[in-house]
Amino acid sequence: MDRFEPKIIGFLCNWCSYEGADAAGKSRRKYPANLRVIRVMCSGRIDPQFVMEAFRVGADGVVILGCHPGDCHYKEGNYKALKRYHLLQKTLAQLGIEKERCTLNWIAASEGEKFAEIVKEMVKKVKQLGPIDNSE
Amino acid sequence: MERVGVFICECGPNIKDAIDIQELVGFASRLDNVVMTLPFRIFGSEEGKELIKQKIRENKLTRVVIAACSPKEHEHTFKQVLEEAGLNGHLLQIANIREQCAWVIRDKTLATEKAKVMLKGAVRRVIHHEPLEKKEIECVPDVLVVGAGVAGIGAALTLAQKNRKVYLIERLPSIGGKVARYEDLFPNLECASCVLEPELDEVFHKENIQILTCCEVEEVLGFFGNFTVKIREKARFVDVDACIGCGACFDACPVKVVNEFNEGLDERKAIYIPYPGALPNVAVIDRGGCVRFNGGECNACQLSCPFGAIHYDAVEKIHELKVGAVVLATGFDLFDPKRAPQYGYGKFDNIYTSLEFERITNSDGPTGGKIQLKDGRAPQSVAIIHCVGSRSERHNEYCSGICCMYSLKFAHLLKDKLPEVKISQFYSDLCLPAKDNQRFLSDLFKKGIELVRLKAAESIEITKKEEKLLVTYKGIFGKEEKAAFDMVILSPAVEPTQDATKIARLFDISQDEYGFFAEEHNKLAPVSTSTEGIFIAGCAQGPRDIQSSVAQGQAAAGRILSRLIPGERVELAVTTAKVDEELCGGCRLCMGLCPFKAITFDEEGRHLRINEVLCRGCGVCGATCPSGAIRSKHFTEKQIFEEIRGLL
Amino acid sequence: MAKPNIALYWCASCGGCEEAVLDLNENLLKVVEAVDIVLWPVAFDFKYKDLEAMKDGEIAVSFINGAIRLSEQERIANLLRRKSGLVIAFGSCAHLGGIPGLANFWDREAIFNRIYKEVPTIDNQECNIPKEIVKIDGKELALPVFYDTVKTLSQVIDVDYYLPGCPPPPDLILQALTAILEDRLPPKGAVLAPAQSLCGDCPRKDSKPEVIHIKEIRRISKIIADPDRCFFEQGVICLGPATRSGCGARCIEANMPCRGCFGPLDNVVDQGGKFLSALASIFDTNDEEEIKKRVDSIIDPAGTFYRFSLPSSILRRRRISNN
Repeated sequence: MDRFEPKIIGFLCNWCSYEGADAAGKSRRKYPANLRVIRVMCSGRIDPQFVMEAFRVGADGVVILGCHPGDCHYKEGNYKALKRYHLLQKTLAQLGIEKERCTLNWIAASEGEKFAEIVKEMVKKVKQLGPIDNSE
Repeated sequence: MERVGVFICECGPNIKDAIDIQELVGFASRLDNVVMTLPFRIFGSEEGKELIKQKIRENKLTRVVIAACSPKEHEHTFKQVLEEAGLNGHLLQIANIREQCAWVIRDKTLATEKAKVMLKGAVRRVIHHEPLEKKEIECVPDVLVVGAGVAGIGAALTLAQKNRKVYLIERLPSIGGKVARYEDLFPNLECASCVLEPELDEVFHKENIQILTCCEVEEVLGFFGNFTVKIREKARFVDVDACIGCGACFDACPVKVVNEFNEGLDERKAIYIPYPGALPNVAVIDRGGCVRFNGGECNACQLSCPFGAIHYDAVEKIHELKVGAVVLATGFDLFDPKRAPQYGYGKFDNIYTSLEFERITNSDGPTGGKIQLKDGRAPQSVAIIHCVGSRSERHNEYCSGICCMYSLKFAHLLKDKLPEVKISQFYSDLCLPAKDNQRFLSDLFKKGIELVRLKAAESIEITKKEEKLLVTYKGIFGKEEKAAFDMVILSPAVEPTQDATKIARLFDISQDEYGFFAEEHNKLAPVSTSTEGIFIAGCAQGPRDIQSSVAQGQAAAGRILSRLIPGERVELAVTTAKVDEELCGGCRLCMGLCPFKAITFDEEGRHLRINEVLCRGCGVCGATCPSGAIRSKHFTEKQIFEEIRGLL
Repeated sequence: MAKPNIALYWCASCGGCEEAVLDLNENLLKVVEAVDIVLWPVAFDFKYKDLEAMKDGEIAVSFINGAIRLSEQERIANLLRRKSGLVIAFGSCAHLGGIPGLANFWDREAIFNRIYKEVPTIDNQECNIPKEIVKIDGKELALPVFYDTVKTLSQVIDVDYYLPGCPPPPDLILQALTAILEDRLPPKGAVLAPAQSLCGDCPRKDSKPEVIHIKEIRRISKIIADPDRCFFEQGVICLGPATRSGCGARCIEANMPCRGCFGPLDNVVDQGGKFLSALASIFDTNDEEEIKKRVDSIIDPAGTFYRFSLPSSILRRRRISNN
């Protein structure tokens, strides 16, 4: 398992976090290639079903990124994401998917460095956890 | 079967050097539904765009994937390109292989692998895209101004032009705000009513301004260019067109109540006009004080009215105003000195706040302009205390900006009316900015007053000693001193109004740490807020004098005139949500979650409905709906599931 | 004209679906007049070889209830599929996995350990556990394979229609039978119950406030619920908004919140996940500590949200780590 390269799915909101990811790119900040990004308009669009489907199809980790509280382009969508995230994490843990595999963070449009760090951290952590056994 | 075309941009060397383009092209061409793959130097160039259009037509493409820079750079451009080639702009998906791939992955193999995965995701998603139509509505050029004080009036007069209507609403029964209560104004002691009355008159009679008094805002829906504001107009019980303000009704009224216009220093009748010359010059019944409205029998006012203007059965009215922008000029309240017991306010007689003193000096006030103590005598000594509740750690940190000036003004007025009176101003710092204010102080020295500097703003206490008020204070050297006075005038802090938070929530704007409405930018955008279309002016934004309030009102008007142009169209969100009315079971879990109040409950059909004009497409409702009855266009479950599957 | 043949078979089930058929009462006589029941293990004896001998399609409709957890069940399900024109998944277990589906939190090893070794009432000194092949007196006995994962019927065979409910109410069963006999069935794959959530049918729907927020989650066993107000509004978890209607809101009438046995609506893949989203979205706090407290107060979210539908959900079962 030492060549395990986790697949990480990132759900990024169009306004702050996607811009933050682009900011990392504009300053050529390198981060692991394991991340695959899905853009939604608001982190409040993220349905727990999306996260579950990601795990089902082969993701080893999921990161949810939204705007800092108070900065949401749609006012409080990020808080909805936060609420669902906590209940989802507990439910996933019961389904054998460790809490560390699904994280939520706030990224501002200028926080390219923070974005890159989050990806690095996630990849490192999930490598330690190993792949999810999806066999039945 | 969809026909997907994949266009891979090399972006000069940016992408070309970091990703194996040929391999990517080969990979893309082998994906299901892909009928054409093409790399090119720069698709964003004129040549590149023409090439895309050509290929769309040649290959009869039904969907397009462009692997290039971030969609935040050129999505708009490429959507245009599709439209010009006859395809709806939403049948496009962009794979961000520059900012989120080429620029962030050092190893070429890894970067190419990631780009492949991104393409796979994009192709799988785009197949499920649907055409979406752009929606526009014409903007409403009219404006709502909340608060008919000097700031609001300044805004209204500037805004009222030929092709634009202004609604000026006011909570109280008459317009003019705080300035209508002042007697003279600093720094040149001009008469307040001489300055204000012509403005009130102009705003009252101007063609494009509709004034609504006794009104409060109830609900705000919509966005810049298209607000719908619900206003609740309380009943006056007096017909505005029939009443001429003769006053027969107040003479007849048997009830006396506390007169808030005079800060409670005297009484008025339950039916009243706030002050002589108030506009509108129409009586109003105060339900709280009136005998009839509290279960008793009385129709004295109706009987006395020679014009039959009084109608007890008048009801509240709800107005729904459609406006494109709003100016909030709701003014201020004064700090209540009872919160600082050291000043003795409310405990001892002859201690007055500045607003109370304004009314005492006012010729229309409770004493007809005579400066007198509670027992009717003229005071021989007066203390004026600055910074009551301002510059205080316990109360308000900030300086209220106008109190030093009006405190000096009071000294001027006192000296003019009672030349022998002894005046002491207790202050810790003097705030006299602007062109003419310093001279105001120097002129006062000629009239003879004492300025006593305190160690700190709050190093002062007022108690009673025999018949006088004893001021105990610490001077700048820290030594405790005492002095006795007949009258004390307090200069309380300027604070946000009681309902500031309610209004901020209704209009969805932020408040600063003190509760005043927060401006968008401290330097560059002092009259706009972070909510587009909502502007602020006057003391509602922070303590300021009349000149500055009027300037802000005019500034807000200027901003609106340049942004809200009659005839222009406002683009609505396209990726909105829609309820499948057959599927919806009416559980209503979504309704309270919409930040734009776009979701309503259809009582008859017993299902939810989304107003597509108000919806901004955030998707919160779509994710919440436990029945799956809400569809978020362009971000449907199907589309996202397919993208997930493509990416893994 | 010969009467059409129907078969009723049970997989991993409790027998409640059989009872539901009996609950047709007098209508059962009408049914028996219209059809020939060729297979019904609870009611009369049969042999597998007789079933194997039938022609393909000889059975007009097979009603299969129960989840698939043994290889025997999978085998017979496949057999019935071949021999039947239509297969209807009857009841929550066949439709979604049902209560037996909750076994997907464990695997065979954990389950056998618990049942045959750890349970306080078991006396199993030799630690015997069921084995697939056992030799007794020189003869071989075979037991079906006990799968690690419980499956829904549609995960092993092609299903034509679903009759939801734990068990399906008699009126729904009768409706389905009538539709079959009169050849009035909807397009293949349909669930034979209304396409709206229970909220649309709930006797308490008019008591709903404009905005529903959850301040505190309250467990139905710890309070006396107001029989006239919406459960959600009282802070009680009720799966009604995420559950198909058609049951007549029987549980609600008994002052118990809905537990979701009719499964999700047509557009929803994962009933538990969608419900989780709705429930969390209406917590009336934005403070992270408060949110965590509220989440902590839900003792068993996965079990509650997936009570009947775990095998049919996106993740289907708990992932048991190899470590």
